[in-house]
Amino acid sequence: MRFGVMMLLFFSMLFVSACGLAVQHDNYEIIYAMGNDDPEAPAGQPAEDGTDKFTIGVVPKLVEIPYFNLVEEGAREAAEHLGAELIYKGPPIADTAQQINIIQELIEEGVDAIAVSANEPDKLLPTLLKARSQGIKVITWDSDTYREGRDFFVNMVDDEKLGRHLLDTLAWNTGEKGEFAILTGQSKAATLNEWIKWMKVQQEEYYPAMKLVEIAATDDDPQKAYEAAKRMLAQYPNLAGMIGNSSVGPPAAAQAVKDAGRTGQVKVVGLSLPNLMAPYLADGSAQVATLWSPKKLGYLTVVLAVQMLEGNPPQDGMTVANVGIIRVNGDVVVMGDPVDFTEENVNQYDF
Amino acid sequence: MISRLTDKLAFGRLRLSTKLMVTYTLLTIIPMSLLGYFSYWQYTKSIEEQIGEYMPRFLVQADANIKKHMDELSTLPEMLFNSEAMVAILRRDVYQSRADLNRDQFEMNSFLNRTYLNGASPDVIGVFLLSKNRVFESTRLSYSGIDWGQAFTDYGQDLELRSSVKLLLPGDIGLRFVDNVPYVLIMKQIEDVDNRKNLGMMFIAVRLNFIRNVMHNLENSNQADMWLMTRKGQIIFHTNPQRIGAFDPNIDRYPLLDGSFREKSETGTRLVSVRKSDELDWVLVHSVPLEALTARTDFVKQVTILVFIGLVLLSIFMYALFSIRVTRPLNKLNQLMKHVEMGKFNVDLKVQSKDEIGTLAGSFNSMVTTIRELIEQNYHIEIRQKEAELYALQSQINPHFMYNTLETISMAVEEDEKETVVEMVTLLGRMLRFSVNNKSKFVTIDQEVQHVHDYLTIQKFRFEDRLSFDIAESLPSSSEEALYTPNFILQPIVENAIKYGLEARKGVDVRITVSEEFGAKSGRQDLVFRIRDNGPGIAAGRLEQLERAIREDAWAGKDSGFGLSNVNARIVLLHGHDYGIQLHSIEGIGTEIAVRIPITRAVDVERIEKEAKYRATHSNLNRR
Repeated sequence: MRFGVMMLLFFSMLFVSACGLAVQHDNYEIIYAMGNDDPEAPAGQPAEDGTDKFTIGVVPKLVEIPYFNLVEEGAREAAEHLGAELIYKGPPIADTAQQINIIQELIEEGVDAIAVSANEPDKLLPTLLKARSQGIKVITWDSDTYREGRDFFVNMVDDEKLGRHLLDTLAWNTGEKGEFAILTGQSKAATLNEWIKWMKVQQEEYYPAMKLVEIAATDDDPQKAYEAAKRMLAQYPNLAGMIGNSSVGPPAAAQAVKDAGRTGQVKVVGLSLPNLMAPYLADGSAQVATLWSPKKLGYLTVVLAVQMLEGNPPQDGMTVANVGIIRVNGDVVVMGDPVDFTEENVNQYDF
Repeated sequence: MISRLTDKLAFGRLRLSTKLMVTYTLLTIIPMSLLGYFSYWQYTKSIEEQIGEYMPRFLVQADANIKKHMDELSTLPEMLFNSEAMVAILRRDVYQSRADLNRDQFEMNSFLNRTYLNGASPDVIGVFLLSKNRVFESTRLSYSGIDWGQAFTDYGQDLELRSSVKLLLPGDIGLRFVDNVPYVLIMKQIEDVDNRKNLGMMFIAVRLNFIRNVMHNLENSNQADMWLMTRKGQIIFHTNPQRIGAFDPNIDRYPLLDGSFREKSETGTRLVSVRKSDELDWVLVHSVPLEALTARTDFVKQVTILVFIGLVLLSIFMYALFSIRVTRPLNKLNQLMKHVEMGKFNVDLKVQSKDEIGTLAGSFNSMVTTIRELIEQNYHIEIRQKEAELYALQSQINPHFMYNTLETISMAVEEDEKETVVEMVTLLGRMLRFSVNNKSKFVTIDQEVQHVHDYLTIQKFRFEDRLSFDIAESLPSSSEEALYTPNFILQPIVENAIKYGLEARKGVDVRITVSEEFGAKSGRQDLVFRIRDNGPGIAAGRLEQLERAIREDAWAGKDSGFGLSNVNARIVLLHGHDYGIQLHSIEGIGTEIAVRIPITRAVDVERIEKEAKYRATHSNLNRR
């Protein structure tokens, strides 16, 4: 009897052990679970939550000019997309001291990153260094500062390419000869001066018949720019063209040319917004406007700032959503190529 | 209760062959089959586990490959921005004439055709661009089933896709290419990055050949199914083309979406490996029947089972043979024992083998033979004993003696010797009464001596001076108890003495003494009868012969020495070899015969008779 019971137990045990594993989960039995060896899943999850906390301070050279308003639009779009908080604050005029104050305020507010379009690099540097020492990521956009003052610089275009191209656009229109003047923004703005350097190089290299007569600083003030243009038109009767090096330059120059009745005689090219330039392009007082999309620049700056905070510094050839492929050269990010606006295509752009 | 059941199942009651079979089954078949079953189970499990572990890793690879393809395809819409003119067309909102619109459409369509269908990937079968109520399109295959007007509402530029790519399945949008070519629609919003505006929606229809290739690289077995489906279970691609677009009803029941599991269904158990793609929100599934994985093992299993069954049958056969070889002699032994029990001793258990069974059979045969021989022997001893006793009885008063005595009496009557006649008749009567009354093997010494005295007296009447005798009893008179002796031991010796003495001489003198003597053999006081005559004596050679005859064969024939050997045999039978007859003879002078017996009292008689019987048997056994 005991023997029989033992055998019965034994066989029932066998049966149970053989079927036991299979029975659980009714029809499904897990053999192997991949687990969390997928590196993207754990990294992606907290980052998405974390972006809420990121506060990005974007400081333009000045506010209330169309160019920087457009940058703000783009920056806001990006902040909304990424769920980051954006503080867009700038001085009413392109004044470094005020810019320093604003940056100081942002540091006190405890932002995660500051993106600056620098007015005067040397004056700005101590403040930026202070920000960096407090663990705030500092990037520059539109206008660079010294390298030690920031993590990287978001450049709209390649400096050399833009400088040479600007001079080219003037050369096409003046027949590669004649006197020309440059209306720049702040005389000390590093990026503007870089472009001017390349304009000179291009002129010396290819256009010996052209002659740069004056570089006038406008401090990005439209009124100041208009007056400077007017003055130069009077001062240089043989003036064949004017290059606006910052967005307020070309419209002021075109207006001055128009007002002086020298439309068609003095060609106006330079960096400006299509909307500002559209009337002048249409009536011939300006020939070519060159620019990038300021919205795109604002957008890219904020995206790169957030990615930096997430631990993904920009990389060469990286595709940024809604922007495109960016190039990175050392610690300088190049957004893309400049776009030329002429009478034909200016209406396609709404900035 | 347990004990009663134990009785029922009692192993001890089973037949020996059954026991052997049960033992064999328990010790061999069950452990072997269990071992086989366990190793097979373990082996298939480890195969499953290995494949279950590796397949998801392969799926990760396949997923990465598909993802890479998809990423490449997702960049296709970017090619639109290569052409400023096309971007300008897309940016255009209003047309002054239908011709302008048609021109733009023509330009855009031919651009799409150039860029996407003739270049790019060969898998692209159609491109559709919805922008500001315009439809631009270019396809490789004819299609049907879509209403672009409706599509504007569903997928128009108001949809905020941002930069991400969305996949549309044929079922989502109703677009059908000729021949039902499996495809997915890559839907991407066209963004004007400069103006930060939405320009429209681009749909690129992509043939799924690359997924087929990826899957084919991973698994080219016909039995395995692979498919790609959305998290909701809609199948984007399946190795079985008919299932593309269908729904996998089980997706919600899958225990996990990253790993392997076993799935049981009516069609059998399958090993399912799944990999979910986080970015693309789809699930890659590989499903293979377990039989396909374990096919080779199953073949080995079947072969093993066949071989195992074969071995089991063979060994059962061998066991049966063996147990028959063991039990058959035992059954036969049982039968033969019954025969022996009934008294039939002529049996022979024939077993050739030299093992224990053979030994047993040999022992049995030998035992039966011994029993048979013992029985025969005892039977013979009994008969011979009876014969000896009968002879003694017959010899006591033999007819020859009667005749001679009666003749002597007759002569005495003729001579008118009344007293002699009376005495002789009295003596004869007493002798007869002694013979008639004597039923025991023992008589008192007095009776025996009286009897031989009577005999000698009668003979004295007959032979007169030729015969003289004397009987001297020198027993210690102190013994109050009567002493016993085997009966009829003196008369045959005296008869011999008279017979041989009177044949050789004119007269013979017979002297009989009865005394107690110390016996060297027995080591104690014995009773000794000595019968001495002055007859011719016995020659030395003859004496030796005679002595040997007396010792060796107590039951020899009734020749001249028979009287002596009969006496000796009866004494030896009753008292053992320490006792018996001794012959002493010198030729020409005479013969002395000593009859040695132990001192026997009445109490000893019965014991001695019993011992005698035992000794007879025993001595015969020893002699064998």
